[in-house]
Amino acid sequence: MRRLVAYPLAALGFVAASLTFASPASAHGYVSSPPSRQALCASGRVSDCGPIQYEPQSVEGPKGQRNCHGGLSQFAVLNDDGRNWPATSVGTSVTFNWVLTARHSTSSWEYWIGDRRVAFFEDGGKQPNATVSHQVSLAGFSGRQKLLAIWNIGDTPMAFYNCVDLQIGGGGGNPAPSPSPSARPTPRPSASPSVRPSARPSATPTAVPPRPTPPSAPAGEWAPGTTYRTGDEVTYQGVRYRCRQAHTSIVTWEPSYYTLALWLPI
Amino acid sequence: MRKLRYAAVALAAALLAGCGSATPEPVVPAAVAQTAPPAAEARYNDVDVAFLQMMVAHHGQTLEILKLARTRGTDERVALLAAAIEATQQTELEVMRGWLTGWGEPLTGSASHAAHASHSADGALPITAADEMASLRKASKAQFQVTFLNVLIGHQHNAIEMARTEAGGGVNPQAKDLANRIDRSRTEQIKQLLAMVSG
Repeated sequence: MRRLVAYPLAALGFVAASLTFASPASAHGYVSSPPSRQALCASGRVSDCGPIQYEPQSVEGPKGQRNCHGGLSQFAVLNDDGRNWPATSVGTSVTFNWVLTARHSTSSWEYWIGDRRVAFFEDGGKQPNATVSHQVSLAGFSGRQKLLAIWNIGDTPMAFYNCVDLQIGGGGGNPAPSPSPSARPTPRPSASPSVRPSARPSATPTAVPPRPTPPSAPAGEWAPGTTYRTGDEVTYQGVRYRCRQAHTSIVTWEPSYYTLALWLPI
Repeated sequence: MRKLRYAAVALAAALLAGCGSATPEPVVPAAVAQTAPPAAEARYNDVDVAFLQMMVAHHGQTLEILKLARTRGTDERVALLAAAIEATQQTELEVMRGWLTGWGEPLTGSASHAAHASHSADGALPITAADEMASLRKASKAQFQVTFLNVLIGHQHNAIEMARTEAGGGVNPQAKDLANRIDRSRTEQIKQLLAMVSG
């Protein structure tokens, strides 16, 4: 379902523009950690999710449901327990963190495991902050559990739905307890798998002026999903470039005018 | 719909030489590094202007958020990503300002303050920079990095929405190219940020 979201645009005073500026999706919020299923899709850790990977914040459906996809057929993959969603290892007290992209007046937040509501936070119609966190006790539960987190909007009949797969209470039989993004099985190069493992001695987080660095660089073509260090050299479209600032590459950070701060032609 | 005006950006001529003013062509000369800012054609509409004005404001907010993260401190991998975002968005910001200036349009929307009070059809308020900065300032040392990552993820999701609106309603080829770049770039950044926030 598509709705007009009159984004800050309306206020710019362009009537025509604000009509044209209908938001492509109803976008508002989701649980980022421990990662909800939509977060796993958006981060690329689970692939082949369909459109949800581009709008994890859009799982909005009528209140009162007990499913992972808000009843939206285009996001039905989220409700498919057969997808072997990776579960995050947690203790019995868990902090759930939300990414919000709009501040709905909020009725309440609910957390469910099976038929049991394990936590309830009443907001009484308040606007939430830019981010929201809740600490939830999962005492009494262990092993693999599917938790349903719901954001009930105050002034609409709608709610946002998230399923979070958890391995509660130590020792899990599940793939990749959260702290290791590098363990993810996705073959996609852009999924930033290499951010962590390469402990970079030369990494300099501040903006680095170009400086002569020993030619230790892999003399390859530029590629996304690669951790480049200052001084590394690549070829892109037939031109050689030297890395000016350490980073893990993504599509659009290939050498261009826009990335002169990262890559200098040599 | 709007009379054409010429954006007299210095290197425009060189870059667009050979292209008629009407036909946009991605100018990527073979084996030559692109070291001049992309020049915007003089053909544009209100959506292009609104997009650029909003993105200029949005980029300014991004830089503020990143600066705060630098002073409060984060893990090295988070700091590296933040620094790369900062560096690339700084360049985007300069390009967008150059286009607006070249068109003779203001850098900010006429009612940017009112934007903070605007309601969407379903009553949701947009998240403002003030909200984001308040959340970050309030965060304890222990919670700061997680708050920062969540704020930045939400912020970049909003950039994607603006970019998609431009892609649908803008007419200026360079602004639309930039919107496409922003859409793809922020999608990839969100992947990295989500991996960090859950890791």
